[in-house]
Amino acid sequence: MSKMNLTLKIWRQASANAPGAMETYPLADVSEHMSFLEMLDVLNEKLIKEGKEPVEFDYDCREGICGTCGLVINGVAHGPRKLTATCQLHMREFKNGDTITIEPWRANAFPVIKDLVVDRTAFDRIVAKGGYVSVNTGSARDANETPIGKEDADKAFDAATCISCGACVAACPNASASLFVSAKVSQYTYLPQGHPERERRVLKMVSQMDDEGFGNCSNHGECEAVCPKGISIQNIAIMRREYVKAALKTGSAIV
Amino acid sequence: MTISNLKEGADLKGVQPDGPLAQKWDSYKAKAKVVNPANKRKYTVLVIGTGLAGASAAASLAELGYKVKAFCIQDSPRRAHSIAAQGGINAAKNYQNDGDSIWRLFYDTIKGGDYRSRESNVHRLAQVSVSIIDQCVAQGVPFARDYGGLLSNRSFGGSLVSRTFYARGQTGQQLLLGAYGAMMRQVDAGKVELLTHREMLDLVTVDGQAKGVIIRNLKTGEMESYAGDAVLLCTGGYGNVYYLSTNAMNSNVTAAWRCHRRGAYFANPCFTQIHPTCIPVSGDYQSKLTLMSESLRNDGRVWVPKTQELAARVRKGEVKPSDIAEEDRDYYLERRYPTFGNLVPRDVASRNAKYVCDEGRGVGESGLAVYLDFAEAINRLGMSVVKDRYDNLFEMYERITGENPYHTPMRIFPAVHYTMGGLWVDYNLMTTVPGLYALGEANFSDHGANRLGASALMQGLADGYFVIPYTIGDYLAGAKPVDIKDTDSAPFREARAGIEAQVQKLMNVKGTKTVTEFHRELGLKMWDYVGMSRSEAGLKQILTEIPKLREEFWQNVRIPGTENGWNKNLEFALRVADFLELGELMARDALVREESCGGHFREEYQTEDGEALRNDEKYAYAAAWEFTGNPSEPVLHKEQLEFENVQLAQRSYK
Amino acid sequence: MQQAEKETAKPGPLASVLSIFNTTIGQKIITGLTGLGLVGFLVGHLAGNLTLFAGSEAFNSYAHKLESLGFILYAVELGLLAVFVFHIVFAISVTSHNKSARKSKYVDSRSAGKPSRKSISSQTMIYTGIILGLFTIIHVWMFKFGPGMAAGYHTDLHGLPARDLYRLVVEKFKNPWIMGSYSAVMLLLGVHVRHGFWSAFQSLGAYHPRYTPLIYTLGILIAVLFAIGFLALPVYIFFAPLTA
Repeated sequence: MSKMNLTLKIWRQASANAPGAMETYPLADVSEHMSFLEMLDVLNEKLIKEGKEPVEFDYDCREGICGTCGLVINGVAHGPRKLTATCQLHMREFKNGDTITIEPWRANAFPVIKDLVVDRTAFDRIVAKGGYVSVNTGSARDANETPIGKEDADKAFDAATCISCGACVAACPNASASLFVSAKVSQYTYLPQGHPERERRVLKMVSQMDDEGFGNCSNHGECEAVCPKGISIQNIAIMRREYVKAALKTGSAIV
Repeated sequence: MTISNLKEGADLKGVQPDGPLAQKWDSYKAKAKVVNPANKRKYTVLVIGTGLAGASAAASLAELGYKVKAFCIQDSPRRAHSIAAQGGINAAKNYQNDGDSIWRLFYDTIKGGDYRSRESNVHRLAQVSVSIIDQCVAQGVPFARDYGGLLSNRSFGGSLVSRTFYARGQTGQQLLLGAYGAMMRQVDAGKVELLTHREMLDLVTVDGQAKGVIIRNLKTGEMESYAGDAVLLCTGGYGNVYYLSTNAMNSNVTAAWRCHRRGAYFANPCFTQIHPTCIPVSGDYQSKLTLMSESLRNDGRVWVPKTQELAARVRKGEVKPSDIAEEDRDYYLERRYPTFGNLVPRDVASRNAKYVCDEGRGVGESGLAVYLDFAEAINRLGMSVVKDRYDNLFEMYERITGENPYHTPMRIFPAVHYTMGGLWVDYNLMTTVPGLYALGEANFSDHGANRLGASALMQGLADGYFVIPYTIGDYLAGAKPVDIKDTDSAPFREARAGIEAQVQKLMNVKGTKTVTEFHRELGLKMWDYVGMSRSEAGLKQILTEIPKLREEFWQNVRIPGTENGWNKNLEFALRVADFLELGELMARDALVREESCGGHFREEYQTEDGEALRNDEKYAYAAAWEFTGNPSEPVLHKEQLEFENVQLAQRSYK
Repeated sequence: MQQAEKETAKPGPLASVLSIFNTTIGQKIITGLTGLGLVGFLVGHLAGNLTLFAGSEAFNSYAHKLESLGFILYAVELGLLAVFVFHIVFAISVTSHNKSARKSKYVDSRSAGKPSRKSISSQTMIYTGIILGLFTIIHVWMFKFGPGMAAGYHTDLHGLPARDLYRLVVEKFKNPWIMGSYSAVMLLLGVHVRHGFWSAFQSLGAYHPRYTPLIYTLGILIAVLFAIGFLALPVYIFFAPLTA
């Protein structure tokens, strides 16, 4: 088993309004089998033993599905491995002697809570505006009453796999949330269940997205490249299509 | 009785509605009190946790008109660990025309749980399973479908019928997003107030009834008080008492345990499910274990080298697994269980993996792993078929281990996955504290001593969507609504002061060992003594060790930073403090239950073939433990389980 | 709660419709539409320019034909002006919004590679755009509103008097500074269109896993064509033994 000695450059910031700065930490004997977050665990245990404050970073499931973790590693959201959230990135992607920079997601709409932890509640506020089908518990018909072709069901699923990690925002040169919002809009565009409120949904969600202070999409496509679930920017096109149809039909961007 | 100081209290009764089994739920609903629609908004329900159970309950209650406050420890309610469930959700739809029915699902669940669950609850679960699928599909959950556009099913976890609905390997995620969406809709409507980054640290009772909670704001460190007419605990399981498990890092027992300390009985804590197919531990730094879907056992063959010597050479890397001749391999599951082979239930598969590793025949650097080999499947089915079925799983395995399972056998080992135990609840899902309910994995649930695959999602959603909306009305109807602004009365002040003092005390220890070190130490002990296989001697041993570790924790833990603001180590310290009490209760429960059943295997109680030996005469009860002030002296209350509709039988997978 | 607020402040019909152009997506759609319009215009412009290679008569009669359209030309020019203005105004609005969405900058920022389409072109749209906008003003001032017949740029087309635009063009491009800067700007036009073309389709919601890669490649082709096509003229004039 090969062991690595690394130099970590990590963003430290005491609170949302405090100024932040990069700090350098050497870390020895890192096993290639460690996950990236386990490597940071080891660093933190060392810092605590030394009487220093550990680096705060957020995580939960550590299996790539909850979307809690997210670090910009060497300038790339979620690090060097494609289709992989930070928690499933392993140290074998790095080599002995490497210097690794670690920064939080940066966007006005994602204020830093501490160090590498950011506040992504803006996403929830967008979903609250229409990221669902309005159906009360108990009022559903039999599940097989509405057939949905496999192709459409699969496409809806592809869009629905979004884990809401925010890497798309972090990687976007404009800090745009378009990929996140469009994945939700697109899921309900493919499914007939989403159709009764499709205009309302896209208009309200886009309006909330703008209000949260995310940037606009300039079609760089960085979001798709860092998305751990590989969600396509095709969804953004679908969202725009839905948006134009809805706005023209309504005669307004406001519902 | 083997423990001399066991105290027993009065038996418990789980409110049984009238009538024959199949009509109990209808008869309950017909008689349950209902809150007047105009009055519903006067009642506030505090929902703790926003996984499948919490989110579905919050949404459904808000739709009915109740005021709901929903709390979660994550930054978003959608991150609750329900999201990680891979396999699927069971429902007795019988869409496949293969003979499924509500009765069959009920029966499979009771039998799978090794006859340690309540008939009436389980039957209700099977009944409402049908509506869950309808509800989820209406919400736009993208379940797998056939080309004709209808829902597709698979058979799961050794079930004889295809009743599992699934959304690729991300069923939990899709179901949770459905429930989360439904809840967010109510947030927008102003009926649910969402409070994220909040951890419940105490239950406030007034005249013995649950009337509020004390919450720590994880962002600011402040203590907050909330008053309500009922509290719903939807906080999941406690598998993280083992330190390593497939649970999320933040999954914990704290909210449930604090309720236990306030009078809610904790039932069957020793019933834990160990999942056989997880990626093995690779080193001390390991922080969690990753589950590989059970479906792998459909085509993978489990084996270890036949001899210790050969296994030792494999561990040193002198021999590659693919170079080991067929006659030097021991396909131990196929050998011992010719009928079920590699598809034996989870507990059997897990225990056998432990045995072969204990014999010194384990593989991998640590010797704590067995092979799951696809070479034969690739030969038989062809590469493309295997790829089609398992590619995403193989890819995940490769991402984590750096090894390619198409070329070299996977290494797997069991890991703690689900806890069947939890707060004791009656038919209403109410705990022994009036007004305090427990839903989903947080209650001692409908799974008895062992949960079947694809049943956890079903239970979480059943409780939230279809049970609690009916049962809570029965309690609230006629009750005087609380003044939610009144959080300064004595019970609130005292509870708050108690928690603040606890935090202060922890911060002031300033010892030398980190929270993680204590947690890891506890976890190892739990795994060794209260894990896959338990013995009287081992349990007695750990019962002396845990109190010592707990004492050391309170004298020597080191928590960096301050209690103000974000401090992950403090969050964990508060949780580990509770795990250190729960662990002892689990060991005591395991010691008292002198039989083997489901997830609880006592070495002293096994058949000649090494299978679990139940003792229905003495132990067909749910063990509900009452907290007495001293974690080492709980009082046992028994709920005798009455089986009027099923015949108790020994499980056999030979 | 939010709904109630919005209902009380219901905007009038005009404000309602205009609100569409106030959102990020609305603005982006306008930018894309006008961008494609400008690409169309440039195709025509380039075709016109190429008549210069056929000699002074061909070029001047092309210019003359355009001018003799009279009212129609004014209408088209006005439309074109509007397209330019909308394209510029919305692009600036979108970009300034985007630039302000991330106040705290990354210390280290890199592209994640494919399937990202981020490029020098995509990141410099606003700069290449501003330069092209300024260029357009100078360009129109230099030629359209440059010296006409009264100033002696006079020629005969089949017996009819016409402006000798050919001479003006040749004179200007014989100047190495003008030739050089024109050529540089035409390269920037290529850079702008390289991202702009496919991006406009994407902004309008036209994405297809099969067609989009083709559109993307077509965008690169058009960009190269525009750059070479528009460059060819000043370079040719500068180096060829032409006389006004």
